[in-house]
Amino acid sequence: MVKHYLPSSFQEALEIKHQEDVMLIAGGTDLMVQHRTWSELPPQFDKPLLFLFNLAELKYIKKDANTLYIGSMTDLETLLYHNDTPPCLKDIIALMASPAIRYVCTLAGNIVNASPAADSLLALYALDAKLVLTSLKEERIVSIESFITGPRQTIIKSNEIIKEIQLPHQPFNRVHFKKIGGRKSDAISKLAFLGLANVNQDHQIDTFRIVLNAVAPTLIRLHETERTVEGLSLEAFKHQKDALLEAYNTAIKPIDDQRSNRTYRRQAALNLIRQFIETL
Amino acid sequence: MTTVKFTLNGKKVTLETDISRRFLDVLRNDLNQTGPKEGCGEGECGACAVLLDGHSVNSCLLPLAYVHNKEVMTIEGYAETERYKVLEEAFIHEGSVQCGICIPGMMIAAESLLNQNPNPSETSIRHSLSGNLCRCTGYNMIVKAIQRAAQRGKGLW
Amino acid sequence: MKDISKSVEKIDAKEKISGRMKYVSDYKMDDMLYAKTVRSTQCHAKIKAIHLPELPKGYYTVDYRDIPGENFVKMIFEDWPVFAEETVNYIGEPILLVVGKDKAVIQSIIRDITIDYEPLKPTFEYTKSEVHYHYTKGNPKPIFDKHNQHIEYTYKTGYQEQAYIEPQGFIAYLEGERIVLEGSIQAPYYVKNAVVNTMACEADAIRVIQTTVGGAFGGKEEFPSVMGCQLAVAVHKIKQPIKLIYEREEDMEVTTKRHPSKIVMTAAIDSNQKIAGLHARVALDGGAYVGLSSVVLSRAMIAATNAYTIDHLDIEGDVYRTHTVPNGAFRGFGAPQMIFAIEMFMHHIAHTLKIDPFAFRMNHLAKQGDLTSTSGTFRDPILMPEMIKKACDISNYHEKVKTYSDPKVRKGIGMSWFFHGCGFTGSGEAKHINAKVKLKKDDQDVVHLLIAAVDMGQGAKTTLMKVASHVLEIPLSQIRYANPDTDEVPDSGPTVASRTAMIVGGLVARASKQLKAKWAKGKEVVVYEQYQQPDYVKWDEETFTGDAYPAYSWGVNIVEVEVDKATYEVDVKKCWSVYDIGKSLDDLVVLGQADGGAAQGIAYGYLEVMNHKDGKIQQKNMTDYIIPTAVDMAQTETHFIENPFALGPYGAKGAGELTLVGGAPAVALAIEMAINKHITKIPVTPEFIMELMQNDDR
Repeated sequence: MVKHYLPSSFQEALEIKHQEDVMLIAGGTDLMVQHRTWSELPPQFDKPLLFLFNLAELKYIKKDANTLYIGSMTDLETLLYHNDTPPCLKDIIALMASPAIRYVCTLAGNIVNASPAADSLLALYALDAKLVLTSLKEERIVSIESFITGPRQTIIKSNEIIKEIQLPHQPFNRVHFKKIGGRKSDAISKLAFLGLANVNQDHQIDTFRIVLNAVAPTLIRLHETERTVEGLSLEAFKHQKDALLEAYNTAIKPIDDQRSNRTYRRQAALNLIRQFIETL
Repeated sequence: MTTVKFTLNGKKVTLETDISRRFLDVLRNDLNQTGPKEGCGEGECGACAVLLDGHSVNSCLLPLAYVHNKEVMTIEGYAETERYKVLEEAFIHEGSVQCGICIPGMMIAAESLLNQNPNPSETSIRHSLSGNLCRCTGYNMIVKAIQRAAQRGKGLW
Repeated sequence: MKDISKSVEKIDAKEKISGRMKYVSDYKMDDMLYAKTVRSTQCHAKIKAIHLPELPKGYYTVDYRDIPGENFVKMIFEDWPVFAEETVNYIGEPILLVVGKDKAVIQSIIRDITIDYEPLKPTFEYTKSEVHYHYTKGNPKPIFDKHNQHIEYTYKTGYQEQAYIEPQGFIAYLEGERIVLEGSIQAPYYVKNAVVNTMACEADAIRVIQTTVGGAFGGKEEFPSVMGCQLAVAVHKIKQPIKLIYEREEDMEVTTKRHPSKIVMTAAIDSNQKIAGLHARVALDGGAYVGLSSVVLSRAMIAATNAYTIDHLDIEGDVYRTHTVPNGAFRGFGAPQMIFAIEMFMHHIAHTLKIDPFAFRMNHLAKQGDLTSTSGTFRDPILMPEMIKKACDISNYHEKVKTYSDPKVRKGIGMSWFFHGCGFTGSGEAKHINAKVKLKKDDQDVVHLLIAAVDMGQGAKTTLMKVASHVLEIPLSQIRYANPDTDEVPDSGPTVASRTAMIVGGLVARASKQLKAKWAKGKEVVVYEQYQQPDYVKWDEETFTGDAYPAYSWGVNIVEVEVDKATYEVDVKKCWSVYDIGKSLDDLVVLGQADGGAAQGIAYGYLEVMNHKDGKIQQKNMTDYIIPTAVDMAQTETHFIENPFALGPYGAKGAGELTLVGGAPAVALAIEMAINKHITKIPVTPEFIMELMQNDDR
């Protein structure tokens, strides 16, 4: 039988990760499904597991003047009901899986799983999340977008563990989240859309964000396109509608699968973008 | 082998076994708790739900490792409580039970909800059951039962 | 006496709520072994060789060579092998079982098995007909010649998976020389008869016991016979208890589903804008083996005119063989496909003729005394006009139709009318089933209902015990109704076809009456009753002529929806229903049937997507095959109109399937109104709505 590890401190976890080729497991809600074999048998992993979910020191939500700090083993139910969780992230979590799953499901797990259809990543992309990656010897901070390189691919090193997710405070007074699943709750997204903007008193767009999932190998956020409309008056912005739609239409590359098809994904994504632009 | 200690229905349990095992299997095979059922094995149906520190979780997804130092209650343990009796009466009164395979999980989800929110709206009840699939009832009679229990169980939650 | 409709506490509720109720996966026996099935990975191929690893002691394989009797599962059509022999005909077809004590060892044996295939050309189209039926009413040919305005539409329906929450399962063991099978089943005698055939043994060598069923919906009608035969062969060979429980993915990939269909409807319209004649061609995808698809086809064909009377009919149908998972029984049994087609067709004809669909339908509504599609007679009162009025009033239907007809409004309301024939089709009850029931009063004056009817959640135990209790005038606590065991109960038929309350319940009522007459305090008394077809019911199996059913239940569903402009998602707002099920045997039990049926029927129409790609099922788990959650399910308002049927217990007719069959057309018609496009295919997914809306702007 493979030996698995249930560390009692983060330090111990880092030491194990440093010494041995182990697989990290956070809440396990994805891994336990992916690796199951037959009822009553243990799931089959080809490496020893390092169980992180019980590490109390990685369960926290704190903030300072600029940033919200989320310990990597914070579960989604806690985030859903916490006062400091950004509203768009709450909207997203409320429609993720079910209460029972959310109670043992973590942001870090979602991030490392790097699914193109991950909903929580919409907010992390839109809010310019940073990840603190820790190993026994060092610590580095990377942006969420540089961390995820492809479907289920990340730049995490074999000795690293995500310690924290950092969300810089950013004001948005326009928030539009829409998830399209096969049903109204407890469904994996066919696609999901998050649109954020901050419109100032002079009716100018200070900041503008659109993130989409499940329409490309990784989530879609077009920084250059966003910059073309930031600073515009709402009036001028509306004239950019076609250009914006064209930019997203070019960037998205949806596929056919058991949940939906590429034509629908493209059309629904464009409709949601148009709706967001028109209601800004 | 790693030692895992937890409380099951108020009693202390110590186990030495593979800690990657699904908690559902440990409950059913090692601890004789067959109230939690396996309906899908992937956290969709909720038939395997148990309370972990008072909150509903899917035991089919939960590695045994994660119950370490925690309090677990299965439907068998919950059935001994006052709150259970209120829900039981309501489920019977509203005719919420058909084939019954999802019902222990529904009871656990209902307890988890009422524990957090003793006066839930119909919408919150529906969302709280989103991880508990039932193919017989169309849910409405279960939703009504939880509304009734919330009404009649005042002060218990 | 108390009104039997008044609800009582469900007999098994407390045991189920507390988790104390045992289902087959909870059973354990000493020396119990596990079995796992090795299946075809090819949709159509010759098996050239099977390479088995050397088996450790105590581990076995079981295949067709171990079958003492015939290698087919006895149902209606004798083509479904217990284990594949030379060829495989669908992905997931069972080839052999691996049996042993330790699941991990079984897994590793299975990993080491290799099978060489020689692929054969598969068929997935409606080309190879295995069953062809045809019937007429009146003189359709001259009518079609005379009225040359013909309107034709083609309707398509997809798979639907029963998605019972408890997967299929059995445990089997020897009792002396006899084989005992305990499992989650709807039809104990189907399993027993199939196993007797496969084992080539005497009937009393096989004992089948029903374990508490965690949902069935038709999925545990004929499929368990396949597993039962395999396990009987295994137990006979190995002589130790064996447990076989399907994993969810296995269950979804290889067990029977609702038949996909294609239905072409052609109407000849007369000068009064009425349907003079109807021609329907029904194609069912039977999958790799016919099984009981022929009976599904006949129920579909007989429902061709649904709740309408049309004088001249030409109805044909085929079951086609394809290299896909075999399809079979699912609540409604052919009727949901046909009722979807005819309800949409009535609207599409009205649209084509530019007349009001409601008035057009009312003009065709069947009345007492009319001839049925098969030239039998609707003998009993038909209360549909009153039921339709009630449904329209409580939903504000007519007002909403006006408001939602505005093309800018993305809301819609749809109404379906439907019936369901109670009991087996045609001469099934009298010729094939011939149901028997036995009641035994023991010397403690406790009455035992000894019947083969299965409570799979629908409440059969509660309602049938109530029937006995009311006739005998004794409390429920003095009555027992154990899960059927073929050693104890006579064959009262399978628990299918909306027959349990009406047919078996009718026999229980008669037997109770007999028992009451023979009641002798403190002494054992046993009584029997057997089904007798009412004299007036005549049926010709060859020509499909006569009374296809002894009675009909009727219903109206109204569904309101809103369609999202950006995402084309359908939001089901509410569902109103009015039913005539004769007489309710328990108001909460029938309400449960109504809600559950609506959930499945509506979801069949817009939510539940299953398809195959080159014979491989694409949605094979609960994540990918979407059934409604509590959030998706709309509120319901349901009314029952009493219309007692003389031969049903206290007037009861069937209720189980009726509540499903109208859901899909009601929701599809609502969506049709919301998007102002004709819908000819279900499920009406957002993807399909988008396609319809892009075809041309309205």
